[in-house]
Amino acid sequence: MNCEEVAALLAAEADDEVDGLRSHAIRKHVAGCAHCGQRHEAVLDLRQRLRAELPYHAAPAALRGRLMAEHGLPVSRAAALAAVPGRRWRGFGGGVLAGGLAIGLVWVGSVVWQQAEFGQDLSERVVGLHTRATLGNRLIEVASSDRHKLKPWLSARLDYAIPVTDWVQAGFPLVGARIDRLDGRPTATLVYRHRDHVIDVFVRPDTHATVRPSAHSVRGFNVATAQGAQMAWLATSDLNATDLAAFVQGLARGAVAPASD
Amino acid sequence: LPPHAEFERLILVHLDAGYNLARWLAHDARDAEDVVQDACLRAMKYMGSLHGEDARAWFLTIVRRAFYDWLARNRPALMVRDDESAIEALPDEADNPEQALLRKTERLALADAVAALPLAFREVIVLRELEELSYKEIARIADVPIGTVMSRLSRARRLLQGSAGLRAYGGPAAGEPA
Repeated sequence: MNCEEVAALLAAEADDEVDGLRSHAIRKHVAGCAHCGQRHEAVLDLRQRLRAELPYHAAPAALRGRLMAEHGLPVSRAAALAAVPGRRWRGFGGGVLAGGLAIGLVWVGSVVWQQAEFGQDLSERVVGLHTRATLGNRLIEVASSDRHKLKPWLSARLDYAIPVTDWVQAGFPLVGARIDRLDGRPTATLVYRHRDHVIDVFVRPDTHATVRPSAHSVRGFNVATAQGAQMAWLATSDLNATDLAAFVQGLARGAVAPASD
Repeated sequence: LPPHAEFERLILVHLDAGYNLARWLAHDARDAEDVVQDACLRAMKYMGSLHGEDARAWFLTIVRRAFYDWLARNRPALMVRDDESAIEALPDEADNPEQALLRKTERLALADAVAALPLAFREVIVLRELEELSYKEIARIADVPIGTVMSRLSRARRLLQGSAGLRAYGGPAAGEPA
């Protein structure tokens, strides 16, 4: 592939819309060509800034309430159905629906089913973000093991603050952080290492629709979730499922160090 | 399921996505509410047309149509400004160093730069970057071929790189010494 062909496809490549063979050729070219490397950086720069800086306009509560009233839904539930103001966690939609018991028992079956779907779906997206970050060169946007440095960096880019802890003594050194866009919202991603494994931990506010601790596996990557400190914690890595679950639960509790193997 | 349950399951859960799109397109909160309200009515009416496809993409398609109808009724002048030929006439300045230098003094916040994009560009950027939809889904929602989605996204990004003082493709950041 020459520079011109590569340039035409760089944005599509960043969007994950190029087939495997051409994608491989593009990455190979970009790695060896300073000019295209720069263009590629520019594409990623813009992507990152768009995701960090564009406001997401959640529906006003008044509109939601009005619509619910119009469709014969109990308006008292409008508040419960609205996302946390200014935030929206699509992945937890199933949990939000769980508030709808008032609607009738017929519902319960489909609600449970949807929750299971959302869980797997969320795992797919989390693993997608992880693999894209490790394949591209934006695994870490701020490299630091100093949580006093990472915390303000993240807070400046998010509308929530997260507890950042280092687990170096348990064999999980913190190596940096980045901002990802998960379910349409900027999300804190903490990057830890354990031996040769890279672990991404996505941290976002826990909504009233809680994530139950759960584990999934997607294309050989494990996903484990936990709750703690009013946050939902989603970890993904090629680390084995048991250690990953212990690690993320330990992180979320901010307490006992997970067993290190 | 009774209609109100369908409304909740298929539409209400995507209300934020619908409102966000309407708000980015219409700019104004009140106008966006009108558009979304109309879209909800239409969605209820055409519930039968949803055959197992993604409800969010389906609802966004309806919101987008409701917006353009609203625009034709209330802001016909904007329809003309943002139509296809107007887009084609936009200068592509991302690679022009002089323009980049000029912009040094009028650097826009990125969100303002997106808000200033012509509609056809703004909608693909919002659907791609905020909703993270695939080209195929965007093509269906915006009712254009996938190739058009690709070229509009690419033009939109070049415009943003030019106007938001970002590094242009293949050059130093606008406003930075080469």
